[in-house]
Amino acid sequence: MTEVYSIDPLVIKTPYEIAYKHSYGGTSKFFTSLPSGKLMATRCDHCKVTYLPPRSDCPHCLGETKWVELSGKGTIHTFTTLHFSGEKFLKDLPFQLVYVDLEGADTLFLTRIKIKDMNKVRVGMKIRMRISREPEFRSSDVWAEPDE
Amino acid sequence: MPRKVAAVAGGLTYFSKARKDKTQEELAAEAARMALFESDINLTKDEIDGTIVSYFSDHFENQLLFGSIIQDYLGFNPKPSVRIEGGGATGGLAVRDAYAHVASGLLDVAMVIGFEKMSEVNTAKGNEFIALASDTDWDFPIGGFYSGYYALMAKRHIEEFGTTEEQMAMVAVKNRNNAQHNKFAQTNPKMNPFAMKDGGKITVDDVLKSPYVAFPLKRLDICLMSDGAAVLILASEEKAKKITDTPIWITGTGAGTDAMRAGDRARKVGGVPVLPHENKEWYRKLEYPGVHSFLAGRESARQAYKMAGITNPLKQLDVIELHDAYTSSEIQTYEDLGLAKYGEGGKLIEQGVTTIDGDLPVNPSGGLIGSMHAVGATGVMQAVEMLWQLQGVSGKFHGSNKTQVKNAERGLIHSHAGTGTYVTATVMER
Ligand SMILES: [Zn+2]
Repeated sequence: MTEVYSIDPLVIKTPYEIAYKHSYGGTSKFFTSLPSGKLMATRCDHCKVTYLPPRSDCPHCLGETKWVELSGKGTIHTFTTLHFSGEKFLKDLPFQLVYVDLEGADTLFLTRIKIKDMNKVRVGMKIRMRISREPEFRSSDVWAEPDE
Repeated sequence: MPRKVAAVAGGLTYFSKARKDKTQEELAAEAARMALFESDINLTKDEIDGTIVSYFSDHFENQLLFGSIIQDYLGFNPKPSVRIEGGGATGGLAVRDAYAHVASGLLDVAMVIGFEKMSEVNTAKGNEFIALASDTDWDFPIGGFYSGYYALMAKRHIEEFGTTEEQMAMVAVKNRNNAQHNKFAQTNPKMNPFAMKDGGKITVDDVLKSPYVAFPLKRLDICLMSDGAAVLILASEEKAKKITDTPIWITGTGAGTDAMRAGDRARKVGGVPVLPHENKEWYRKLEYPGVHSFLAGRESARQAYKMAGITNPLKQLDVIELHDAYTSSEIQTYEDLGLAKYGEGGKLIEQGVTTIDGDLPVNPSGGLIGSMHAVGATGVMQAVEMLWQLQGVSGKFHGSNKTQVKNAERGLIHSHAGTGTYVTATVMER
């Protein structure tokens, strides 16, 4: 039976589900390197720019990039504490997002920070990236932890 | 040479968290009827040569090729039509595209039809749909949520420039309270039969005491999610002069872009593309745009000002409708538009410059915080509001004279997508 919420106007339930077979293409190596504990970025030697998230192609010169490993050390550029979110992450609330400025990368990396006392997070705080031992091949497989 | 193009008529629906009484195409008809029949114009529906249909999300609507339904429902077949989509800037891009259609001679009279119905999924699912307009490989899976992205940028603006949560609250108060004189506004229960029940005026204290959604952004710092539609009619110079005695000319338009992932943006010391009234020295040490400023916003304004011959926007503009998705982004946008130096956007609101009685009123309609954010309709709504302001008829349409900016001759509309990925700016004048 169709679920009916109201008669005038008539409002009914219309479910919609979908699963994609999603390819990470040329950036797959970032994810496949996670089980060996490596944080991989890409670099354009011509433009001398290192990208994380990785890009297979450099947007400046359109040359191909190469893989490099990062130390995973860095600092917090900015942060927020979430008390609401999209449906998928409501179960995780509250949690904190940070942009981290990582050693060797020219981009800022958006990730979660996991810390005992959320009040301690501040701009400039030293962090290091952690990598899940059982990766799900999503960007949430890596996160920041305080390193001070 | 492009032809001169004027806005000649506009219409809006009542905006609401949920317009269950009407479908999307019925909402479009409500706004089109107002544009055609409640404006003082000499124009029949048959004289419209084609449409530009503006809506954001196939996910919200659960209908692909919705433009075709709109075109059919409003009785425009077999005339040309195109759907425009560009996230939050969908409406601004659609207005710009309609301008291009008319300026180029492809159409003489064009109707822009913007709509969105965001109420058919729950709010958390709606936030998820909106977050699909961030990088779904990298930014979305970690807990991506637009208020979170803007909170990160706002916190950096605070860190960089000393902007305060009080200044942000002042923006919320300004926009929300302006909306109390606009009968279309979702937060106006006195005048809008579809308004939220807990709308009405607010104070800085109300904003500061509202719960954090994403520090430093609180519930009342954040825009609405709406159902509704907006319709704008543009015409070539020759047609416009026959249609109305008060054509409002589009004299400048610009569009800028930046990286989908805000973290990928440049942090170039002294990298601000300065406007004619600015001095490169001011920003010698500033890393730009970083995540505190919107290069796309600056670029869109630079182009629009150049085309319209504006060399000092604070002096040469009389009114602005800008994309206040968040109170922080209104402050950031003041700077991108060159109304204040980078870093001094917070002071602009503190000094009252952008209030309805200030030197340069911003969002007299109430904007996205006070009036509506039905994404595909939003940028079109801004153009309609600007048309009414410059024609001096805001009072007639709003049901209160308090929103009318006196003697407004030139205004700017600003439409903004993503974390500042697509931004448009368009100058309109009498
Ligand atoms: Zn390169």
